[in-house]
Amino acid sequence: MDLDSAQLIQDLAEAEREREQLVQELRHALRGSERRFEAIVGSLTDAVTIRDREHRFLYANSAAIAHLGFDSWEQLRDTPPAQIMKDYLVWGEDGGVISMDDIPSVRILRGEQAEPLLIRSVHQDTGAERWNLLKAAPLLDEDGEVEATITIIEEVTERKRAELRDAFLAQASAALASSLDYEQTLRNVAQLAVPGIADWCAVDLLDEDGDRRTVAVAHVDPQRLSLAEALRGYVPEQLDPERGIGRVLHTGEAVFYAEIPDQMLVAAALDERHLELLRAVGFHSALIVPMRLGERILGAMTLVAAESGRALDKFDLELSEQVAARAAVAIENSRLYSARSSIARTLQQSLLPEQLPEITGYELASIYLPGVETSMVGGDFYDVWAVRDSWLIVIGDVTGKGIDAAALTALVRHTVRTASEFDASPSALLEFVDRTLKKRPVLSVCTAMCVRLQGDRATLAVGGHPLPLHVSTEGVRELGEHGPLLGAFADACWGEHEVHLQPGATLLAYTDGITDAQGQGGVRFGLGRLREAVAELADRPAAEVVDGLARRLAEFQTGAHSDDTAAIALRRAVAGSAGADRAQAHEVTRAGSAPAMTATKA
Amino acid sequence: MVRQARIAISEEVRGANLLLSIDGELDISTVPLLEQQIEAAHESPTPLTLDLSGLTFMDSSGLRLLIELSERAQREAWKLSLVPSRHESANIVLRITGADAALPFSERAPE
Repeated sequence: MDLDSAQLIQDLAEAEREREQLVQELRHALRGSERRFEAIVGSLTDAVTIRDREHRFLYANSAAIAHLGFDSWEQLRDTPPAQIMKDYLVWGEDGGVISMDDIPSVRILRGEQAEPLLIRSVHQDTGAERWNLLKAAPLLDEDGEVEATITIIEEVTERKRAELRDAFLAQASAALASSLDYEQTLRNVAQLAVPGIADWCAVDLLDEDGDRRTVAVAHVDPQRLSLAEALRGYVPEQLDPERGIGRVLHTGEAVFYAEIPDQMLVAAALDERHLELLRAVGFHSALIVPMRLGERILGAMTLVAAESGRALDKFDLELSEQVAARAAVAIENSRLYSARSSIARTLQQSLLPEQLPEITGYELASIYLPGVETSMVGGDFYDVWAVRDSWLIVIGDVTGKGIDAAALTALVRHTVRTASEFDASPSALLEFVDRTLKKRPVLSVCTAMCVRLQGDRATLAVGGHPLPLHVSTEGVRELGEHGPLLGAFADACWGEHEVHLQPGATLLAYTDGITDAQGQGGVRFGLGRLREAVAELADRPAAEVVDGLARRLAEFQTGAHSDDTAAIALRRAVAGSAGADRAQAHEVTRAGSAPAMTATKA
Repeated sequence: MVRQARIAISEEVRGANLLLSIDGELDISTVPLLEQQIEAAHESPTPLTLDLSGLTFMDSSGLRLLIELSERAQREAWKLSLVPSRHESANIVLRITGADAALPFSERAPE
């Protein structure tokens, strides 16, 4: 992982100034009494060592002795320098291998300026991982020659790992939000987890029948994946609910194997070949965390530390649990989305135009996302048709229940189409629909926004509906003025608003399902976010505007989206573009599950 | 889906009036709760006041309920009073639909 540690270094710069002072004192102390020196340095929690020109220890305080894994000063002193680090694998911050030549004290002996060096070390036997910041300064003799070096080793493991965790979570969250194809996003997250957390990462999902399915296996070295493939042949039909992944999927609690001794593999192996494969993985430690939403267990993530020699610890367990919790939310959102898409297919066919017409000189695109709330069915509709010299676009929202709402939607669409044959002015159309609705025996209300397009001139009227947006590279603004809801209030009338659409300008009409959509903590998407989203899409073709909007909405939303959502974008084609010269049908499709039904004409 | 209680309705009889104070969000998923409460607590022709001052959000289905109530009140000849929300986020839907002018809003609940 490529991580910026600038902040960390900066934090430490301050501490460094204090240490400069300490070093001065040390120099002084070395010339003074040894007892006084020990009094200053001996009690420091940071490890301090002094080495001679041959890199032998002249001094180590008690923190340094413990840090290097020794019980006493004598033991450390009598160990050859080359022996001390042999138990550790050491990397730099960028993951590159660190050699003796890179160590600050060695560089000082070579007469170089030595910057502080951040290193990651893993003990080869225990697998314990540590991050240390090494800082060294020369100790000069009376002639100004380097006599020895003093090194301060500050352990920054907790801070560094907190930083890595935050960065990892940010990346994982971004990966999870990147697509509604959750199997793909889980594969992306598994890829991030190696080597971010471990050497292997596998993701298993539980389907509706309770069967598990492995959707992702990742390893730092893709060539090792064949091993996972071979091991999969040994997956039992029935998972043992007492052990391993079976236990996690059964109880919803994580399991953590800090160490995996060989006898554990022997016990788990089904036969000789299986044992051989398990041993080949080189298990060091493993953890399995559930992906759960409340009581529901959606699957599990398995992380294995193997050939890197690093042991997983409680910190990795916490991090993995957080990633798994986020993954669970992403899976749920994506599944709800798929469910909604299938309702969409049914409703869309009956209430929406099967295909948007072609309007010369314009691009037209729409989205429709039906809500999942079952008690209130209804809902959003839009229509586009030609009347003599003009085009009419209408979008609206019928709020009601069940069949009645669906019938009302159909009624409104037919009414407005029929009425347009006699008078195609938007305000007259709204008045006509209003009168028709008021004649119904039961309360029948709807919102509607109607646009009449003649050449580059758009005339619009709005009845209880969100105002459409005019979107261009110069900005986003609302068009028209609010008029009353249709079918609801006595003595209602509607005004008209006119706008000329310049090439590249988009008129975006939408229903309140967009602004009312709820995200984290119940926050609504709102007009502000909508404006921001379309401003960013200002120079895009109509299809990309509605498509991009749907994607942003999906990323924002958490859980079920209860209300219908529709949007239609009309963009005046830019001269010379395909849309300006010829009409071209273009169906927007996506890889994987289709998050929204998109009808497009360009 | 786990749904949190996003609406709180308190009921109070003031003289001949029934007062329902609604806090939280009135939207497509909480409207049925308010409908049930009104059905259980209100009997025509008792005057009904809905105090919406603590409402933080209302969508078109919430508005529809208010319009239905207003229509029923006229038909059955009882008095409906509405106290508007203190929150703009709950009043947007009333403003854009013209319902703020057409529905029986008054600034305070009857004493």
